[in-house]
Amino acid sequence: MNINDIVKTLDGTLVAGGDSDRTVGTVVANDLMSDVLLNDGDDILLLTSLASDQAIRTANIVGAMCVVVHNAKPLPQTMCQVADTLGIPLVSSPLSKYESCVRIHDFLKAETGS
Amino acid sequence: MEYKPTILSGGESRNDDQIMAAHERKHVRRVSGPGLPGSDGQGEPLVIMELLQRLRVKDVMRDHDIISVVRTDTMHFAQNLMKRNHISGVPVVEGKRLFGIVSINDIIMALEGGWIGDPCQKHMATNLVVLEEDMPLAFALKYFENYIFGRFPVLNKERDLVGIVSQRDVTRVLMRELTNELARLEGGAPTLGAAGEQPKSEGALPYYSMRQFVVVRNDLQNAGKAANEIKKMLGEAGVEKKIIRRVAVAAYELEINICIHSLGGSITFILDGHKATVVAKDKGPGIKDVEWALRDGTSTANDWIRSMGFGAGMGLSNSKRVADFFDIKSTVPTGTTVLCEFNLPEKK
Repeated sequence: MNINDIVKTLDGTLVAGGDSDRTVGTVVANDLMSDVLLNDGDDILLLTSLASDQAIRTANIVGAMCVVVHNAKPLPQTMCQVADTLGIPLVSSPLSKYESCVRIHDFLKAETGS
Repeated sequence: MEYKPTILSGGESRNDDQIMAAHERKHVRRVSGPGLPGSDGQGEPLVIMELLQRLRVKDVMRDHDIISVVRTDTMHFAQNLMKRNHISGVPVVEGKRLFGIVSINDIIMALEGGWIGDPCQKHMATNLVVLEEDMPLAFALKYFENYIFGRFPVLNKERDLVGIVSQRDVTRVLMRELTNELARLEGGAPTLGAAGEQPKSEGALPYYSMRQFVVVRNDLQNAGKAANEIKKMLGEAGVEKKIIRRVAVAAYELEINICIHSLGGSITFILDGHKATVVAKDKGPGIKDVEWALRDGTSTANDWIRSMGFGAGMGLSNSKRVADFFDIKSTVPTGTTVLCEFNLPEKK
């Protein structure tokens, strides 16, 4: 699952950070950044409702491949700037975090055929 | 509050209350944060600011072999003394009491005016700007900035002359103390050589660097910048990705902690061939129960902090989890210092 797949699956828009060819290794759905930092997975897709610079900075610390903000929350300009600076794709989705989790689960299940 | 120098007039002793009051006024100003001369102290590295407050004038002054004259010595004698010792002024002292100073300017005027044979007491300066031995070094630097004098006499509480301090003395001691401070932060590792040579050893990563970041209270907009910068430095140094992540997680958690729980502080990062070290130091209010704070899920964070995605009570325990060595010291209300060390494997 790459950035294009994420955008399509979640009816989202890539708003900052640019495209990349990285694929999802681990999915983390969380709004508490310390919980995100606890995760040891690689190539994290971060699903969050936190529309702040810190979501992007946290994503960078754990080497996340993409951040998705839900419920079509307005994204602060600084958040987009930080995403551009750190080169982390930032996607805005109108879905709820729960709906995103379900769709991504289904996609990955289909992808791996299991 | 107006900054008032200590001035002795005509060798008379001052009222002790006045001296203490002046000193206290300066201390009030000190707390508001004077830094290096010509600055408001906000932009200086904390290590230097702390050093300038911790060191006292008596730590840098020259307190032995003070070259001096007595009141009855001639200006010509003072001139020769200054010439022989390559100094631009000489105090007029009897016993421990300071009566005045003869400067190179006084000598020039004596030569021009034809009174070079007169006793010093007739032409010495008696309106003296002096330092007190217990003043923070920051004030000595302010004196050097505010006055044209190259050296100042130093008095003790009894108003006895106990030393002389010149700009050269200040530089010498500051360099020594900064080197010691660097060695301490580095945890005993070898410091940079005089020529800036990088310490290297067999199999070690060939780099050394140190950076300090100021963390401002409640400035969540900028919190995390230090950790991201540290991550970048580690990446550029070619450190293994998994280790970079652990160091970055600790730095980030500690940086956020300083931002949301303390009055502000700093993150210091040191990287050498064998070890990466993160030191988080804040200015208070300190942690009453460190053991409690180290438990997962315990937090004093308020709703605002939680709404920003923090305050889950994982910061300290998370830092401890990822570090090879973790230490925390906290005093109420002085502040908290957290040390995280990470071993760097030798490059194959």
